[in-house]
Amino acid sequence: MSYLRLRRLWKPSPLKRRYEVVIIGGGIHGLATAYYLARHHGIRDVAVLESQYIGFGGSGRNTAIVRANQRTVENVRLYEEGLKLWRVLTDELDYNLMFFNCGVLGLGHSEASVSAFRMLCNTHNFLGVKSELLDPQQCAEMIPGLDISDRLAFPVQAGLYHPPGGVVRHDAVVWGLAKGASAHGVHIHQGCEVQGIDTEGGRVTGVRTTLGPIGCKRLGIMAGGYGGAVAAMLGMELPIHPLTIQAMVTHPLKPFLHHVFSSGAYHVYANQTLKGEIATGAHMDPQVNYTNDATAYYLKHQAEALTELIPALRGVRFMRIWAGLADMTPDMAPIMEGNLGYDGLFLDAGWGYFGFKSGPVAGKYMAEYMATDERPAMLRAFQLKRFLENRYSGETAAAMKYGHWD
Amino acid sequence: MTAHRPGAVAAAADGSRPASPHRLPCGSTCRVDLSRPLSFDFLGRPMTGFAGDTVASALYANGVRIFSRSLKYHRPRGLYSIEGESATTYMAIDGVPNECAETTELRAGMSVRAQNVRGDPKTDRFGFIGAFERLMPAGFYYRLGHRPYSLWPLFQNGLRRMAGTGVLDPRREYRPGVRAERYLNVDVAVVGGGTAGMEAALAAAERGLRVCVFERRPWMGGHHAWRVREFEGKPLWQRASELEARVRATENVRVLTRSPVTGVWGENLVTGFTVGGDDDPFRECHWECRARTVVVAAGCMDRPLVFNHNDRPGVMQPGAAWRLARTYGVSPGKVAVVSVGDDLGLEAAVDLTRLGVEVRAVVDSRRRGHDPALLEELYDLRIPFRSRWSASRAKGGKHVTGCDVWGMSGIGPNSYTCDLVVANAGAQPRIGVLATVKAKLGYCRHTHSYQPVELPDDVFVAGSMTGLRDPGSITESGRLAGLRAAAFCRRQGTALDARRIGRAEPAGEAGPSSPGDNCPPALSAAIEKATSTLASRPGPVAGTGIFRGQGIGRGAKAFVDLDEDGTYKNVVESAAQGFDAPELAKRFGGFGLGPGQYRVTGQNLAMIMAAMGLDSGKATVPAPTTVRPPLVPPSLATLAGPPHDVHKRTPLHDEQTARGAIFRRMGPWERARYFSEDPSCRDEILGVRRNVGLLDSSPLGKFRIFGPDALNALQRVYISDMRKARPGRCMYSAMCNDMGQLMDDGVVVKESENGYYFTTSSARAGTTVEWFRYHTRYDGWDYHLVNITDVLGSLNLAGPNARRVLERVTRDDVSNDAFPYMGVRRITVGDGVEVRCLRLGFVGELSFELHVPSSYCQYVWGLLVDAGADFGMQPIGLEAQNCLRAEKGHIIIGAESEQRVILTDIGMGWMWDRRDTASKKVGAPALRACAEQPGRMKLVGFRVDEGSGSHRGDLEAAPGAQPGGGPGDGAVIVADGEVVGYVCTTRRSETLGWRYGMALVREEHAARGAGLNIYENLGSGRKSTCSATVVAPHFYDPRGERLRA
Repeated sequence: MSYLRLRRLWKPSPLKRRYEVVIIGGGIHGLATAYYLARHHGIRDVAVLESQYIGFGGSGRNTAIVRANQRTVENVRLYEEGLKLWRVLTDELDYNLMFFNCGVLGLGHSEASVSAFRMLCNTHNFLGVKSELLDPQQCAEMIPGLDISDRLAFPVQAGLYHPPGGVVRHDAVVWGLAKGASAHGVHIHQGCEVQGIDTEGGRVTGVRTTLGPIGCKRLGIMAGGYGGAVAAMLGMELPIHPLTIQAMVTHPLKPFLHHVFSSGAYHVYANQTLKGEIATGAHMDPQVNYTNDATAYYLKHQAEALTELIPALRGVRFMRIWAGLADMTPDMAPIMEGNLGYDGLFLDAGWGYFGFKSGPVAGKYMAEYMATDERPAMLRAFQLKRFLENRYSGETAAAMKYGHWD
Repeated sequence: MTAHRPGAVAAAADGSRPASPHRLPCGSTCRVDLSRPLSFDFLGRPMTGFAGDTVASALYANGVRIFSRSLKYHRPRGLYSIEGESATTYMAIDGVPNECAETTELRAGMSVRAQNVRGDPKTDRFGFIGAFERLMPAGFYYRLGHRPYSLWPLFQNGLRRMAGTGVLDPRREYRPGVRAERYLNVDVAVVGGGTAGMEAALAAAERGLRVCVFERRPWMGGHHAWRVREFEGKPLWQRASELEARVRATENVRVLTRSPVTGVWGENLVTGFTVGGDDDPFRECHWECRARTVVVAAGCMDRPLVFNHNDRPGVMQPGAAWRLARTYGVSPGKVAVVSVGDDLGLEAAVDLTRLGVEVRAVVDSRRRGHDPALLEELYDLRIPFRSRWSASRAKGGKHVTGCDVWGMSGIGPNSYTCDLVVANAGAQPRIGVLATVKAKLGYCRHTHSYQPVELPDDVFVAGSMTGLRDPGSITESGRLAGLRAAAFCRRQGTALDARRIGRAEPAGEAGPSSPGDNCPPALSAAIEKATSTLASRPGPVAGTGIFRGQGIGRGAKAFVDLDEDGTYKNVVESAAQGFDAPELAKRFGGFGLGPGQYRVTGQNLAMIMAAMGLDSGKATVPAPTTVRPPLVPPSLATLAGPPHDVHKRTPLHDEQTARGAIFRRMGPWERARYFSEDPSCRDEILGVRRNVGLLDSSPLGKFRIFGPDALNALQRVYISDMRKARPGRCMYSAMCNDMGQLMDDGVVVKESENGYYFTTSSARAGTTVEWFRYHTRYDGWDYHLVNITDVLGSLNLAGPNARRVLERVTRDDVSNDAFPYMGVRRITVGDGVEVRCLRLGFVGELSFELHVPSSYCQYVWGLLVDAGADFGMQPIGLEAQNCLRAEKGHIIIGAESEQRVILTDIGMGWMWDRRDTASKKVGAPALRACAEQPGRMKLVGFRVDEGSGSHRGDLEAAPGAQPGGGPGDGAVIVADGEVVGYVCTTRRSETLGWRYGMALVREEHAARGAGLNIYENLGSGRKSTCSATVVAPHFYDPRGERLRA
């Protein structure tokens, strides 16, 4: 029975001195790009370099929520395609990514947020992405124990329900993509930290790593929270602020929370994992930094927020807290670029805390970009030059502040 | 707290009959008070425990052996650890799920239920699942259930139902009672109240430092508290108890018992919680303790021995068996086999024998290093002993009936009949705190444990966790740590003092371990003495690198992680699939991800992986997996603490309440949003348009800025030429950010040569000072900026009759000539209250905004209400103001602006002083670059085309719907299958007789007279469309005559 035969998911491979394509970052974005390069474009001479182990960064530290209820057209379209890929990838990779299509409910606690929800709902439905505006009673029916009374500091005034969203097992995505990429001949090198990027005559020629120099024709910077730092090796200063963002889980419980819910006013989002834990994420720490340090503040903050919204959660305990990096751009939209400053240099960065849900779809289009040198139409909205032209994407309504003013 | 004084039941120990067949006379170390029975029930069966029992010890004393069923295989699980290291005794206590029976003190009337079982844990319906273990290799669920994909939801629901342990009733009230929170500042925080921690506390306190000791148990003394072995002529428990008395009597030591530490975070923030005893005013108290130094003396715990069926009820760690007997006076079993890897385990075997447990055999996996005195005692007690042997298999079904032991060289097995297997592989330090303070940990090949290789300068380690076992060494190491902490504080303090008087002096040049120059000679001498004393005493004892029993085969039933049913075989399987490092295997196989976290599993997993690496010639040193806080799980109720909703009320809150205001939270404020149940606020709006209304606008930001550079600062942050501000006139202007987006608007009044008064929007009141300071940070300007938002209330009197009302309360001339539009005056109202009065027109009518000292607000409100009574003046709320200003085309930041638009896009470019480059106005470069840029979004006004709408479904019941139908805020504007903009605010105006609105649209749709298609679809078939025409965004009184009236 082949089911009982355990095989390595990805093959250990010898480190070659040259590859056609080198990708910095063994997270979802890097692995997905490698996978699609090999699978869709026949470019199999690809190495994925990961300084720690695959999935060490944001790929393994997020709360695994996937959705497409963004604010702007270009983002809705991108994430909608991303949502459809989970099922396709599960089949292609023959690896259960455990997409739990439970729907995502946002809670609004002010007249302003109700207006904002109406705008989102109208946008999604116009674009054919399911979305529904709910009243507080309907919210309480979806989230058992949700307090919709006036006792809350900010009583629930409306909900925005997004049925196509849900939760995916984040580690499975990393491992599944590694499995798929490796099966198509991609080399995955863990514990290989990039320390410098070599260029010659306006072309990228390779990288210097802790395992020695590696030559390449094309280089993809897909290093998640560290994207800005890697680009800085070439003297590029990207409008990216790395911020710590934290998440935590409670002890496991039998299922009672059947949807993802989030509340902007309370800075909390939560869902019950397949294992039964309530996984909850918080707002970002305000200081720009590269640490993965958790803080006591967020443990307390999340408890305050969750118990106010669902008082029964007073009965559970937090079991584990962790932190990851969010590479924030000022408009909360990513930067996806090709031949940026140097021929052969590709950049996929600035995903902030949207990096998980976008992984496969970003990889798909970055692979196309890298293989053809032509910017796919889907990526037109995510160019770096929008910051130079002061044309922000409208992904957030208000201008964001990270660390310091502007 | 008599229950926790050792020896409380000495009488019972002196021959009187134990209270139940499972109780032992254990004498002086007992913490259970047999004179105070407590009844409780387990699964509805009445049982009796005693004061001082934990739920687990009481259940065990009542003969309960199966406490729960395991997560994956539903195997019966019993008491394995005794301090919550694993989840085998997580139970529902009084309906609260996942409570740890091992650490929860018994209270009268408790109701206890087992978890993850169908029915009685003895006869669990899912008990058969374990038989299919072979079909569930590590990570099996990733390879199952998705083919065909249509079956996945079914499989997924099955997984969900089987996963999880406790049951939470979302409609129940959990953990009522007071939750306190306290914040401390200390010089030394000691984590662990064992003898080392206590000695450290005393050493530091004797030098005048403030010390706080966190101890998780209800008493202090660490593992000495239950040991009867003598040291220097005294039993260890007595020595510990005397030390505890000294610590408790020391004035500047705060002792927190029942207080586990949840983490030590950045800058030495020690967090933990105290479980309240009978005398405490709280159920639980959350602590945050900022400490200058931390002494970590967290002690050790058993490291599990991995062998087949090591999870059977009846298999327990030495610490558990020993403490069950010694602390709780409960017999762990009748006949025992002991398989250990350290001297404490041997001592437990000897002690258990003395307490009446028949120990059949003692095996020790170590080759050498045994304490000869203990071996002699075993010999005297005629207990067979073998070294280099270990348990390989526990026999029995729902309870242990026997045990096989093997020699490490491959001889065996020897089989024994027994009802108790006491097993460990050795001891492991509780490294949690060290990991959270970011000590660099390395694997020590002498103690076979993780030890700090590098410690932060302000963290000191002491006690048995460093590998020390000799009681004298342990206390001396504590003393040394306390002295070093004192020296650190001393040195840091002196350096700070020096900086304060301007003589910065590099601190700690002498290095962290040396007391340095600022250390008083007496302290230096004490440190030297303690160092040499410690050096002269026995050092860390050798540990063992063994983690599994001999002869366990594939280890299919040898559990590495009891919480998630992770077996030795699963570790091998994980490695086979490529997860060949502890951190990867942990994620893949779920080792150490259950409630016990890394605590039980961490070191063993790393040791197993390292040993595998040895086989294939790879890295061989066990690498620690990441330790994540909280180190002990705190409840959300306790973390949340008492209610925190700190919100501000305006000085006029009560007045408005009396008038029937409906309040809403807006930022930090509670504000009157409506004065009737009518969401359209028709009466309030018409009252202002036709008569006069009164609005409490107190949250408006109010500031004074003065000093020689006040004007420079204003010029920097405001976009207009602020030199034009002059006395007696309000100057309206705005602040932008560096991208030219509108951040704030308000009026500025010049009040004196270098003094200005200005207002900001309510939302910006809190950030304005920082905004000014940030944008002038390099200039060294001399100005003072004071936020007087809370000092002054604000009342806005608006409407055609506003002047007539005002005239009744003041003798000052408020006529249009004396006090024109945009004027500002100081007027006296009533019995001599001087107020600032600003003639503004946000709502589009003649209006006077009175800025009144907060303490006079109620008085002035009363004056105005009385004066307005003859006119029928009504108070109005925020929503009415929102409609009134929208009719006038006045924007609200965030409602009619967003990050895609800059000042010039929203029709406010006229404010910008384009010629000024010298002031370096914030946002001016961006405006300059983008003001003429094509293709931007623009703010437009629109008028909905009469009769153009069609709608389906019950749109009016949706949140935020407009009374009377029509598109609402947030409707989108569409063209050619694209979304090209959206409606910011739209209302039907009673005054105008038509529906107006403001929208942000792409430039190509923004021309006057252009048509807009407005689209709404709120789901569930609620849809509407209509058309509108772009008009100037000044719908009401476009020439502003009413403002100037």
